[in-house]
Amino acid sequence: MTGLRKFGGRTWIVTAAALIVLLVVNTVLQKNFLEPSVVQSNLTTFLPLVLVAIGQTYVILGGDIDLSVGAIVALVNVVTVSVIAALGGDGTAVALGLLVGMAVGAGCGLLNGLIIAGLRFQPIVTTFATSIVFSGLALWVLPQAGMSVPEPYWRTYAGDILGLPTVYAIYVVAFLIAAFLAARPFMTRLKAAGGLRTAAYQTGLRLGALRVSAFVLSGLFAAFASLCLTGETASGDPLMGQSLAMTAISAVVLGGTALSGGVGGTLGSVLGAWVVGMIGSVIFFAGLPFEYQTLVQGLIILAALAGGVLVTRR
Amino acid sequence: MKSVLLAAGIAVAAVGTASAAEYTIGLSNGWVGSEWRTQMIEEAQAAAKAWADKGVTVNVVVQSSNVDVQGQIGNIRNFINQGVDAIIVNPNSPTAFDPIFAQAKAKNILVIATDAEVSSKDAIYVGIDQKDWAMKSADWLANTLGGKGNVVTINGVAGHPANQMRVEGYTEVFKKFPDIKVLNEANANWDQAQGQQTAQTLLATYPDINGIWVQDGMAAGTWRAIMAAGKQKSIVATGEIRKDFMDMWKKEGLTSGASVNPPGVMASALNVAVWKLQGKEFKDGIFGGVYGNAIYIPIPFVSNENLDEKLKEAEGKPGYWSVTDVVSIDDAAKFFK
Repeated sequence: MTGLRKFGGRTWIVTAAALIVLLVVNTVLQKNFLEPSVVQSNLTTFLPLVLVAIGQTYVILGGDIDLSVGAIVALVNVVTVSVIAALGGDGTAVALGLLVGMAVGAGCGLLNGLIIAGLRFQPIVTTFATSIVFSGLALWVLPQAGMSVPEPYWRTYAGDILGLPTVYAIYVVAFLIAAFLAARPFMTRLKAAGGLRTAAYQTGLRLGALRVSAFVLSGLFAAFASLCLTGETASGDPLMGQSLAMTAISAVVLGGTALSGGVGGTLGSVLGAWVVGMIGSVIFFAGLPFEYQTLVQGLIILAALAGGVLVTRR
Repeated sequence: MKSVLLAAGIAVAAVGTASAAEYTIGLSNGWVGSEWRTQMIEEAQAAAKAWADKGVTVNVVVQSSNVDVQGQIGNIRNFINQGVDAIIVNPNSPTAFDPIFAQAKAKNILVIATDAEVSSKDAIYVGIDQKDWAMKSADWLANTLGGKGNVVTINGVAGHPANQMRVEGYTEVFKKFPDIKVLNEANANWDQAQGQQTAQTLLATYPDINGIWVQDGMAAGTWRAIMAAGKQKSIVATGEIRKDFMDMWKKEGLTSGASVNPPGVMASALNVAVWKLQGKEFKDGIFGGVYGNAIYIPIPFVSNENLDEKLKEAEGKPGYWSVTDVVSIDDAAKFFK
């Protein structure tokens, strides 16, 4: 239990409860919901959001916010696809493409971090601006959707790796990274930097380095999400991932991480991302008229947020 | 193994429903930013009901919300897991659905894209040719200007495939008129307000504009900017097909012309889908388009000549109602052997 707690406080229990309610409702509405193939297909759908939400958590814990993750997803996607195509599309090309993609994601995060922590720009406005820059770069790299990735890439993503579905393997690796970071002093220091910035500064913490690291992590996780999306869509699309940034921020907040920074953790964000995903699924299987689907989705997210606030306030 | 059994089960179920002539069709719409999309879904629902006259029961399940590619893939997965007979999708990306459409096809589900073409060889496209849509109105503009003059264009979202095809379309047409000069090509993201601002800027920058080629709903904003500049008698511009715009067109005596992208495209796709589900085979050589999987449907045109007629059709409809056209059940049958 203490291990779990290190992922961040108790607020995630509320999110877990909401998730259980949604799971029960969905099982009632959809007969085959618990079949392994359906479980896997749902977890595949939620994976990119989960990854982006994990990355976003570090930035928010550090008291900042990253609106550019959706654009990073698009940029990483088109760069990876272009690199693979330019190198001929064999195994080495795919491996290099993945590495370049991750480097681009981390690089975007580094740029955000340096501007915000180094030059003291406002994070909201800065990442909004860099998101436009990254989108523009994505359009410049690949002006319109197209270019396919080699079949082994997306077949592996949809298939198994070492006997485990690849998607589950990615979940495991993401959890291991999150657990590793949660156990490091980095996490405590980052929370201090976000929660009590002045006090943290006075104790001699290197705030700039901490905040930059958080942005790099966010960019890197956005790159992971993008590589998953590339596996799922088997192509390049400069307009990909546009709604990811705001959805990921709601997932993080649903998961109990305070937007003011300092409180929360990645486990809650994962649960929050699943909650957001499950809301969509429940609305579909409830058979709502299409005119109300968006409205009801918004209301449920609002209700879930309100629930979290009410419980933590007590 | 389990998935094989499941697929077999769904295949058996599909065959079972075929004899009872009852089908479930999933409609996926990934953007809810305009009334056009609402009308598109409502017309498809009405088309499904109309099949009852032929003794065929068509149930539709709708998923419509603002989603990105990933979200729409999730929607399609839900349809597959639910075991629908066919999926009709207004896709958010031309290429990103290849793997998921392949999965649907593996489970014997018919996939039809409408309004925007897709590259998947496991799906077909039923809708208009976006390039031809642009060529028709560009042709009208060039001819109305007498083959010469200064033109600006106002486009949708850069990088969007439909936008790309439309730009190619008008570029090709204007090239045929050596005295038509394209001064500027701007993007206003298919947003009416942005369209108006862009038109204002263009009108102020180039006082000698003779014609404006503008897409969809942005035409209403553009015409407002033209009228605010008092140039509605000296400038001709393309228009749009919503009732409130056509009312203004009539009242102000504008010179305009509009290609119709009918919201009935999804209903047309549904009529094609139901014939296919009944086991009909497509005629040979019917598919065309960039990806070789498209059935193009006719594009109506509204100009000053037939404006009154179209206004009569729109009588009693709300202001956001668009001029439409549906490939009827009988016309859809003509695509088949």
